[in-house]
Amino acid sequence: MSLLSKVKEALVCLRAGRVTLPYPAAPRPVAGNFRGRPIFDAAKCIGCGGCAANCPAREILIHDVCQEIRVLRYVGRRCTYCGRCADVCPEKAITMSTDFETATDAIGDIGQTIELFMSTCQRCGRCFKEPSPLERLKQKGYRFDDLAHDRWVFGSRAYLDTERAVDDIRIEMD
Amino acid sequence: MSIAMAERAKLEALRARFGAAIRRADLPGNGRMFVTVDPAAIREICRHVFREMGARYVISIGADDRPFSGEFLVAHNFAFDGDGVLCGLLAHLPGDRPALDSISDVVPAANWAEREFRDLVGIEPMGHRYPKRLVLPDGWPEGVHPLRKDVSWDDVPKDFDEDLEFKFDEAPDGCVVVPFGPFHPTLDEPAHFRLYVEGEMVRGCEYRGFMAHRGIEKLAESVLSYNDIPMMAERICGICGCVHSVAYVQAVEDAAGVRVPERAEYIRTIMLEMERLHSHLLWVGLACHIVGFDTLFMQSFRIREPIMWMAERMTGNRKTYALCLVGGVRWDIAPETGAALRGVLDTLEKEWRGVVDAVTGDRNIQARTRGVGVAGPDLVKDVGLVGPVARASGVAIDCRRDHPYAAYGRVAFEVITERGGDVWSRIVVRMKEVFESIGIIRQCLDKMSPGPIQARVDDELPVGRMGLSSVEAPRGEAHHFLVTGEGNRPRRWRVRAPTYQNLQGVPAMIRDQQLADMTIALGSIDPCFSCTDRMETVDVRSGLRRTWTQEDLVRLLKKGGA
Ligand code: SF4
Ligand code: SF4
Repeated sequence: MSLLSKVKEALVCLRAGRVTLPYPAAPRPVAGNFRGRPIFDAAKCIGCGGCAANCPAREILIHDVCQEIRVLRYVGRRCTYCGRCADVCPEKAITMSTDFETATDAIGDIGQTIELFMSTCQRCGRCFKEPSPLERLKQKGYRFDDLAHDRWVFGSRAYLDTERAVDDIRIEMD
Repeated sequence: MSIAMAERAKLEALRARFGAAIRRADLPGNGRMFVTVDPAAIREICRHVFREMGARYVISIGADDRPFSGEFLVAHNFAFDGDGVLCGLLAHLPGDRPALDSISDVVPAANWAEREFRDLVGIEPMGHRYPKRLVLPDGWPEGVHPLRKDVSWDDVPKDFDEDLEFKFDEAPDGCVVVPFGPFHPTLDEPAHFRLYVEGEMVRGCEYRGFMAHRGIEKLAESVLSYNDIPMMAERICGICGCVHSVAYVQAVEDAAGVRVPERAEYIRTIMLEMERLHSHLLWVGLACHIVGFDTLFMQSFRIREPIMWMAERMTGNRKTYALCLVGGVRWDIAPETGAALRGVLDTLEKEWRGVVDAVTGDRNIQARTRGVGVAGPDLVKDVGLVGPVARASGVAIDCRRDHPYAAYGRVAFEVITERGGDVWSRIVVRMKEVFESIGIIRQCLDKMSPGPIQARVDDELPVGRMGLSSVEAPRGEAHHFLVTGEGNRPRRWRVRAPTYQNLQGVPAMIRDQQLADMTIALGSIDPCFSCTDRMETVDVRSGLRRTWTQEDLVRLLKKGGA
């Protein structure tokens, strides 16, 4: 009985044959809807901040330099490739690429930074149309994430101060 | 008897027995019961519910409700599996004196949960027989309770001594201590067991875990928002992530009364079963690996791989599907994908039958696993064991049938049980469950019709509502408790993974067994731990003990080896 089962087990192995893939010597294409590294399109982005508000990993930072210039930075270190940023972007400025071989020893390699020219009316955050109340902007107005340390700052302001909010994670909410 | 009638009958029974101690009851009529009771009577009520009314213990939750009601809240959750009712027994405690009677002498399964809310919320379970710290490390200062609302998510107390060593209990007379873990060749994740060994026989053990508690609940309650949490919930477990993401969104939907479209429920069901397939195949492989049968380990993984590829095609990723949002799912299943999935299932079924056929006759595996790590029905009841471990002891509990969620109420399947209660029975249960899962996915593909996959959520979710959700993970019931809150995020979210209960059964399962059987007995509950930061080495030649701290290890790594 047990011998028979050994024969059967051997058959399972023999029938399978060799299954190891030659990856990475030969590339291995992924499925079409695979979610790899998100790519930001500076030409389409309007700087509404919707992606930053809805990134579960808090990997998209926004920093208002002055009235007209807003910097958006995708840090990408903790990014889980969940694709929520691409989901909520009203301008379809984010594409989930099929790029998954992102291991690097220079962490800045994966980051993307966009400088956006903003027209004045867009400060209120209203240009982000949330799919449901669950996605609404958490921080309206001006945001001052800490670009020097790649850190999200939990707070935003209704006015643009000359003092930077760097290293201050408990500035007043408006 | 309908579920609503069963709920009312239970409530009447409680009222008849305890009268005014039952202060308030909320029966939403969907298989949930929230009964607010007099804290002074909590122990007796829990005993009655657990012993007399035959409920299964699920979990206890402590919550800091002071900013909203000025009180602390404790919920002891029980399940009436036969009637499809999940019941929370709630006690409100004064904000300045959070203490109530421990129930762990009448409900032994509550041992850990009570110690956990003592650590994290600072609610004292009075009369607990073993009130040792469970989650917090010994170096954490007294009186700082991370889950209290006045403690910020990023606070680290100044007097926290990270390097303080754990204080362990004395080993019983005549026993030597064998440390097992945190790192051990057959443990894929860290947990530390101090085994008390007499000769070759294990007489008992002490467990220390939670070495790198990740604080997910705190983050959810203070930083993330409703629709961020599913992506993080998915990362609670490296294998059954989708389970936690579904359990979380269901708890929100249950609390807020969001109705999920039918197609989304089918898709959730399909992905949950995909997950069970790859988890069970992985586990059978690992079990074989632990007992030294690597051939089958390799074959299980080979057979499993197409499932992973299929999941990638369906959701965009092998493992972290990022599937759920409150009110639905994100990825639809196209007809071609459905057809391809059927093809994968057909091959899997054929190949798996071959393996099962071979293994069931293999005396070597049986010799190694029969009569090992035995858990009888009494232990299942007392410690609250769940999943394949309970079913292998003849206790037919399965949330998919007992508390139907998603589309499980609309498909037919069998709850597999065995009688032996040993490791072998657990292998058999899991091997057979693979076929049931295949059947469930096929039925879902047949039955689902086109339609929306995401409910419209037009208003903010109501505040202060409670929701419960139990999902049958591959390892057993995963239970989530949630209170909705302000600021687009929950006030309290408590996750109980199946291993939380199953691990508590390990000391009893390994008692008076051979030391060599420890690994497979532990492996048989399919444990799921977390990450750790220190280890202990013993130099056998000099007998010198050396404890490696996190800093030592980091230094060693940077140097490139010792
Ligand atoms: S893919 Fe997810 S984690 Fe990554 S940036 Fe987008 S939302 Fe954030
Ligand atoms: S959501 Fe789109 S448009 Fe708005 S800031 Fe992000 S990338 Fe730009």
